[in-house]
Amino acid sequence: MINSDVIRGHLESIILKLIIEKDMYGYEISNCITERTSNRFNIKEATLYSVIGRLQKKGLIAPYMGEKSHGGKRRYYTITPLGKAYYEQKINEWTELKSVIETLLED
Amino acid sequence: MKKIENFVKHTFKDIPKEGKAELIKSVTQSLLEKIDDLVEDGMTLQAAIDKTVVEFGTVEDFFDVSKKADRKAKRQKTINHYKNDLLFSGVGSVTVVSILVYINLYFSPQILWFVIPAVAVLWWPLAILYNLLNKRENRKEDDNE
Repeated sequence: MINSDVIRGHLESIILKLIIEKDMYGYEISNCITERTSNRFNIKEATLYSVIGRLQKKGLIAPYMGEKSHGGKRRYYTITPLGKAYYEQKINEWTELKSVIETLLED
Repeated sequence: MKKIENFVKHTFKDIPKEGKAELIKSVTQSLLEKIDDLVEDGMTLQAAIDKTVVEFGTVEDFFDVSKKADRKAKRQKTINHYKNDLLFSGVGSVTVVSILVYINLYFSPQILWFVIPAVAVLWWPLAILYNLLNKRENRKEDDNE
């Protein structure tokens, strides 16, 4: 299990990335994360909603009520132009960070 | 579904008022969506509710760890404050008691009456020491969490 403190700083980028791919609602995001990491990382609901709340406050994502293909209403989130720009910047930061850590930690 | 709402309300009962109602509403909504999904996938309602509640985590997961550090720093500050108070009360009571001893021995050395007001004065640093130790105990408990 991954130490949640380490991944915490990147949760914003991860969630933005998923929402850029397609509009999602809360539980769909957490499910998607679990699936893609083959259960190696589970985001706690509490953490997820706090990050979503923060992103929404910063105007990076916007909520809207939508219908699920079959079933009830869901509160979907969609990316805003600002969110996309923020994500690009975060990705650059991440690439940089990754190469720095790799340089320092690997033989 | 009252159950989920109560659970969310209870989880966030200690957070600041500003934005609280909205937060509770949106989190409740998201959890209800999750329950819906789980039920759709064939889970019983009760099992879905239990799973949702268990997986939610705590209010500490919701807020940054930095908040916790903040609280710790604040507590340390209070303790330092109490240490100053203790020093002040110690010096103060020693001064008062020595004046009492001086007056006692100078004017009426046959009766040692200074002991009685001295005991009264000693409660001052003792009370502060008690408070300081209490705060320290609290901090220790916090660290162990």
